[in-house]
Amino acid sequence: MQSSKRTGNQQPNRGTKVSRREVVGRAAAGAGALALVGKVPAAFAQASDVIKIGFVSPRTGPLGGFGEGDPYVLSLARNALANGLGSGGKKYKVQILDKDSQSDPARASQLAKSLINDDKIDLMLTTSTPEVVNPVADACDAAGMPCVSTILPWESWYFGRGGKPGQTPFPFKWSFHFSFGVAQFAQAYISEWSKAPFTTNKKVGVMFPNDADGNALREHEIPLFEKAGFTVFDPGGYEDGTTDYSAQIAKYKAAGVQIFTGVPIPPDFAVFWRQAAQLGFAKTVKIQSIAKTGLFPSQMEALGSLAYNIASLCYWHPTFPYKSPLTGKTSKELADGYEKSTGRQWNQQLGGTQSLLDVGAALLKSTDPKNKEGLVDKLNAFKVTTAVGVVDFGHGPVPHVSTTPLIGAQWIKAKQGSKHRLDLVIVDNADDPNVPIGAKLQPYS
Amino acid sequence: MIWITQLLNGVLLGGYYALLACGLSFMFGVMRIINLAHGDLAILCACVVFFIADQTGISPFVALIVALPLMAAIGFWLQRLMLERSLRGGMLVPLLTTFGLAIVIENGLFEYFGADSRSLAPYIGDFAFDSWAIPGNIYIGSLALLIFAVAVVLLGGLKLFLTHTSLGRAIRATAEDPDTAGLVGINARYVYAVAAAIAVASAGLAGVFLAMRETFSPYSGPTQLIFAFEAVVIGGIGSLSGTLVGGIVLGIAQTFGAQINPQGFLIAGHVVFLVVLAGRLAAGALQARGGLHRLFARRS
Repeated sequence: MQSSKRTGNQQPNRGTKVSRREVVGRAAAGAGALALVGKVPAAFAQASDVIKIGFVSPRTGPLGGFGEGDPYVLSLARNALANGLGSGGKKYKVQILDKDSQSDPARASQLAKSLINDDKIDLMLTTSTPEVVNPVADACDAAGMPCVSTILPWESWYFGRGGKPGQTPFPFKWSFHFSFGVAQFAQAYISEWSKAPFTTNKKVGVMFPNDADGNALREHEIPLFEKAGFTVFDPGGYEDGTTDYSAQIAKYKAAGVQIFTGVPIPPDFAVFWRQAAQLGFAKTVKIQSIAKTGLFPSQMEALGSLAYNIASLCYWHPTFPYKSPLTGKTSKELADGYEKSTGRQWNQQLGGTQSLLDVGAALLKSTDPKNKEGLVDKLNAFKVTTAVGVVDFGHGPVPHVSTTPLIGAQWIKAKQGSKHRLDLVIVDNADDPNVPIGAKLQPYS
Repeated sequence: MIWITQLLNGVLLGGYYALLACGLSFMFGVMRIINLAHGDLAILCACVVFFIADQTGISPFVALIVALPLMAAIGFWLQRLMLERSLRGGMLVPLLTTFGLAIVIENGLFEYFGADSRSLAPYIGDFAFDSWAIPGNIYIGSLALLIFAVAVVLLGGLKLFLTHTSLGRAIRATAEDPDTAGLVGINARYVYAVAAAIAVASAGLAGVFLAMRETFSPYSGPTQLIFAFEAVVIGGIGSLSGTLVGGIVLGIAQTFGAQINPQGFLIAGHVVFLVVLAGRLAAGALQARGGLHRLFARRS
């Protein structure tokens, strides 16, 4: 969001004009090279044989949950690429330079610039939340570096960086994004609620905070719900970090809502839902389907028994029927391997990070990895099946964007003897019928 | 009717703020240190209690028996080893010291506990969301009521301790003037360290209730600090009963604000805070010019 003013006009001049400074700089570099003439061939050979991939994600700080599985997924990718990557009949060594944004947008931007200018990477990959993806993508657009990103509603990536509907030429020449969007949210919810194996009064209470995600959904999602025959009750936006929700809860109760949805930040939801239980509202809700909160098992465990039967949406699950083209592992193998190696419960971001590396590696294999313009040309119509499903940049809602599915899921109490307290099971697959349904939606109360 | 419910919710919320603000107010009142690590010390205690509850399965309330003396010890040695030295460098240095301490605590906890959101609520079962219904469709949360009661007992107890015990009197004397207190045989170093121990232990207690009420992660500390700080300022810096009043005023302002418009929750709290602050400053400026009557006298 912080860079909404940045548009396409900041792209570097890639034309044939050469400025005075460049001439001077190149001449100096040339002189230096002449002085070291004996070493030149070796140095050149090395640089052109190695592909460097920049990878920026949040590992520490408030968004650290997203990056938790990254070391494991990156180690799988490095193993798969240990013998190099073949492209155009040539074998390249691959280095993945992974950096921690520390959940700070300024830091993310700084890391991206350093990867581009100091490490001379060939491709940038970045994932998880606008605080990471947008500054990195902006830095890439400014420097002429191909960038692929994921796990952030594409609207936040496009409109959040100052894109206008139908803008031509497309404002972000170098950045590409694949992720779910508002349409996937709405479709998944409407299908989940309509096909519920019990009846509801179709009255939906929404909890949209006054932040980027909340406002985007208020504007674009509510009309879709209403079109599908649901009555929506919205008490209005509130600020993130609110510590008492009794006013809203009283209004939801008065409106008699039986279905609930929203995008509260996780600490707010815990306060809200406990208070909803205190004030007698929670037990009148039949479907509690929250987003943003509920991505990770730890957030649900923190709710104790109130978490049982909260519905959620997921972008990856161990039962997804896709294999990673990079590592050859199925979704189940990825989740099991992670649980075995770390002792922690699987989380959705394993698939998210895996799919990003899948796209990056497949792209570099498909065309000359050292030609940045060529990579961007290729990406414009690039299609590949990844851990989260089909990514197809040729047929997105706007250029450079591919939507990926969101699947309806529900947190249920784990069976006796399970290692975990809660399990996430798939209850609806409207967005991607290839994903098998694991159970029927249970009423919340 | 809804306004009565909101008033009640506001008062209970105010109790939570007062509990959070107690240690902050106490430390400032005695040592003139604004402890920016207050929120993080609260989270540290929550993590300790979580660790005990998670490992042994005993109730978080019982775990407090171990955690609070531990926090008090941390406060004591914090004062002896860090704050005391930094106080010699003037007003600004302790501020920077506690800021640095906050960062160290946050990242230290992250190293050990990771970024997961946690809560103590699962360890206290249904108590986290139990409530009593009273006629008129009013619900009172039992946890909220407990927090309010603890805040009143803690602040009241501290006040009694300060007025009726010799250590309490020593603390007050040292707060007034450490040098003169030293002349009559009070060991100011010891008194300061005891005050820090009390302040940090009360922060820890607030942290444990925070963890029962909401979720916490290693980075949750600073967001709590702002409400505590506002409660302290509204109630009058360094005054214990003022802190309780300040917390309640802040809580009521927020719940009433939210009743008017959900957006109004935080705004209403901030507005009350600013109005009180501006009023204080204006009154202070007036005092410096010789009070209200002087101003009128000059005009006539």
